[in-house]
Amino acid sequence: MPLPMYYFLAVTAIYILLSWSIYLPYRVMHLHFMSVANMTISGYLGAYAALSWGWPFMLVLVVGIVVGAFVGWITSFAIGDAPTFAVVIVGFTYIYISKTVVENTDALGGTLGLFNIPSIHSDPSTSKLLLLIIVYLFVILMGFLIHRFENSRLGRAASAIFVDHQLAKSFGINVKRTGMFLQTWSSAMGGASGVLYAYLMRNLFPDFFTFHLIGIAMTMLFVGGYATMWGGLLAAPLLWGGPLLFPPEIASWRIVIYGTILVVMLVLKPEGLITRPLVYRIESYFRRRRDRRIPS
Amino acid sequence: MEVFIAQVINGLSLGSVYVLLVTGFNLLLLVALIIHFSYPQVVVLSMYISWTVMNLTGNNIILGILAGILSSIILNMAMAPIFQRVMRNRGQVDINSTLVISMAIGMIVTDILSHGFNRGFPISFSETLAGNQSSLTIGLINISQGQVYTLVVGIIGVSAFFWLLYKTRSGRAFRAIAEDPSGAKQVGIPLLRTGLASYALTGLLGGVTAVLLAVLLGSASPGLGEQVAHKVLAVSIIAGLGNLAGGLVVGLGLGIMEALIQGYVAGSWSNAIAFIILLVVMLIKPRGVFGMKL
Amino acid sequence: MNKKIFVVLLVLLTAVALTGWAGGAQEEAATGAAEEDTGEVVVEEWEIPFLNVLSGPIASIGEYLQWGADRAAQEINEAGGIAGKPVTVKAIDTGMSPEKGSVEMAKIADSALVSMGPVPEPVIMAAMPIAVENGLYSMTATTSYEYAVEFFPWSISWFAPTKEKLPPVVTEWAKMQDLDRVVQFVESYGPWPGMAEAHEIGLEAAGVEVLKQVDVPTDAVTFGPLVVKALEQNPDGIVFACNAEKIAKIIIELKSRGWEDLNNLLVFNSGDAPELYTTGGKQINGTMIYNYTNDALDTPRWNAYKKAYMEDHDGTRPPALSTHYYDAVYMIKEAIEETGVTGDPDKLKEERIKIRDYCNNVKNFEGIQFTWSMSDGVPTDKPLFLFEIQDGDKELVKEVRPE
Repeated sequence: MPLPMYYFLAVTAIYILLSWSIYLPYRVMHLHFMSVANMTISGYLGAYAALSWGWPFMLVLVVGIVVGAFVGWITSFAIGDAPTFAVVIVGFTYIYISKTVVENTDALGGTLGLFNIPSIHSDPSTSKLLLLIIVYLFVILMGFLIHRFENSRLGRAASAIFVDHQLAKSFGINVKRTGMFLQTWSSAMGGASGVLYAYLMRNLFPDFFTFHLIGIAMTMLFVGGYATMWGGLLAAPLLWGGPLLFPPEIASWRIVIYGTILVVMLVLKPEGLITRPLVYRIESYFRRRRDRRIPS
Repeated sequence: MEVFIAQVINGLSLGSVYVLLVTGFNLLLLVALIIHFSYPQVVVLSMYISWTVMNLTGNNIILGILAGILSSIILNMAMAPIFQRVMRNRGQVDINSTLVISMAIGMIVTDILSHGFNRGFPISFSETLAGNQSSLTIGLINISQGQVYTLVVGIIGVSAFFWLLYKTRSGRAFRAIAEDPSGAKQVGIPLLRTGLASYALTGLLGGVTAVLLAVLLGSASPGLGEQVAHKVLAVSIIAGLGNLAGGLVVGLGLGIMEALIQGYVAGSWSNAIAFIILLVVMLIKPRGVFGMKL
Repeated sequence: MNKKIFVVLLVLLTAVALTGWAGGAQEEAATGAAEEDTGEVVVEEWEIPFLNVLSGPIASIGEYLQWGADRAAQEINEAGGIAGKPVTVKAIDTGMSPEKGSVEMAKIADSALVSMGPVPEPVIMAAMPIAVENGLYSMTATTSYEYAVEFFPWSISWFAPTKEKLPPVVTEWAKMQDLDRVVQFVESYGPWPGMAEAHEIGLEAAGVEVLKQVDVPTDAVTFGPLVVKALEQNPDGIVFACNAEKIAKIIIELKSRGWEDLNNLLVFNSGDAPELYTTGGKQINGTMIYNYTNDALDTPRWNAYKKAYMEDHDGTRPPALSTHYYDAVYMIKEAIEETGVTGDPDKLKEERIKIRDYCNNVKNFEGIQFTWSMSDGVPTDKPLFLFEIQDGDKELVKEVRPE
């Protein structure tokens, strides 16, 4: 596979995971940017474990997910049902704290960064292919779980909280527990993204996981559509891949382009490109075709 | 003791920056019910416009100040329809979507400043405007004109807007429109005129803030707004969203706390300590110490 | 039904991947169909990709780096090109994004003869492993030795190791100013804390007491607290290892608190950026600064460069880093001509190595500022200059050559 395609696909997968990690808590109106801090925590921890203790990739990945989930879960006790703006600022604060800790810890490379994270296989091509397969298997697994969640009782509870927090409470929905569950899941995905990102880039730098990731992931979520999981799946390759094709004069304005697309979408099509009705229409189209094929 | 007093004064100076910005931020919440996370970026844009006009007019300070204030009013009023449209899209007042759109506006403003003004380099205001001349110096204790202006205007501004919003008929009209536009219309409040006036008012405060920041800091860079935006939101949340008096206390408190931590805590951990304290307070009191005023 | 959606997704994914492989195969076929080896230059035009930062908060730095590289290409072409063929520097924007940097590096990794950049450290960290894996020599001419060395021999360092190169100039300054107690302002970014450690070595060599350093937070807005923290230690000299804009603001704050002798302030080379001068203006007059570029040099080549830069930049003097990729383009030219590189795609691997080995060990290379040599990718005899700042200009005080 040509290298640009490999990197495009691998980074696309990371962005899909990141946009889903923001999508999930947004199901209960939480803009949970802590997943970016979880990327730092699990990414660095994983890289350190691989470099210093020789941990194999799969162990690093599992531990990264567990650590991400744990940090998210502990924090969710305080912000599981907090207002959106409080969740936002807690996320920002975690990003600052995790960055400062990394910068001040020599074992994590300090301000210079951490070099030479091992490949998952001795042959570079095999390593890339394996990593890509693992990344996409993880994306498919997460997509499957999110899809199951959406059609579950918990998913419907989340939708009710999104529409009317107070009304959902009055129907007996445990708002805090739902928020905690989604924030923990989101943090676990953030942790996984951090580990995968570390193995993809092979080096880590404290400025890798900062606000540019939030801006891009948020744009993907709202442009793709925040009401279904398919939005991030569509927007990640489009918004991340599109600017790669721009000529340099235009590409250098891509942040302005991202911002403008986001404003235009929020004003004209606030639910994003893929809306729930659109998903229902597509689903019923396939259902009708299936029904036609089955003789009555 | 001399060092301690010097650091408290430094903290008040930093805190007054937060107070000015958080007052504008809270005002937008109160009169328009929008969470304008990127309000500091818009203020910095007004600083850049003021600088540009001063540059074009041979450092004419009056024109520079007017440009800063006018541009802020125009920018604020120009953004009004976007915010209003987003809030109406879901058929109900939705302040969370205003937070998202404000973040998008912040991305645009910061990148335009990185490209479009002074080739992306920081701007420096004329020494006649910058207020770093000392008013009082005793050993390490130093009070500059800029510090005095910003602190005094910050306190007067908060008091004036508090009075306007809670003690006058116009202020009640602003808040009524923000909270329940159709109800406000039914009781005879002219929606368009009052709505525009509320945005113009916050624009005016933004313009004054831009000028005061130019006086206090003497310079600005494309990233300045981003640097303080999260702290402004944190101050507002810790104080209680929309709580003007709370914003004043917490803004000054955060400034003093940062100055003391920077002054007394060794190592580059000082920043993390300030954030950890912020985080702990937010985790314990996610709805604010002084209570929300929405 | 749901399964169908997943099946469609998987099919699409597989199709995309297969298309990618197919594209790769075509590229290889194209490479294979190259002209036969004649020993002569086979390209119509030399193209040097330059992974630069042309967007985001430090786009202004990328602009003048690009200007330097383009200027070199223009001069070379006017003088007949490289081995008789014209050269172009292809600007590739990476911004500050490691992800974009990786993809852009991947795009050129199997086809470029040689490349330049990336510029920001986060992008270097992400993109250089790709260059190394694919045997592409990429000239990282603005970063510290400590970053470049991680990717040797496939990168080059424009600077000697920090702890070897910096101490002598700091020692010279401390002795010249007869200092006893010095404090440093240090910001946590990339190589800067390491540079501060190198300053300490230089200060200790001059018999100076090094006071407790003042850490500058990245998001600092006002500088009173930091300045008070420094002044309460009663220093007679200060060294800055932080962002240029912040240095200017700290100096202004120091002056407002009665600091008079600006010769006793020393700014490190990363602070020698336009932000220092646009923010500091005349208020930083008298401050000392060290760097590798001598703005006061009086040679026809430098004067022409300086004049052209100032014409294109509203009278602003060329920033110190602006010459780095100018020299890099000339070094590539010399390498191609001296080693007989043809540009033949069939010989890509060996010709990449020829350029790499030539540049990493070039002797007496005539840069726009001075002549220097390299040993295994590290400069051996680059001088450092100590200046005094006056009205946005730098007046040479001393030249410090390595022993």
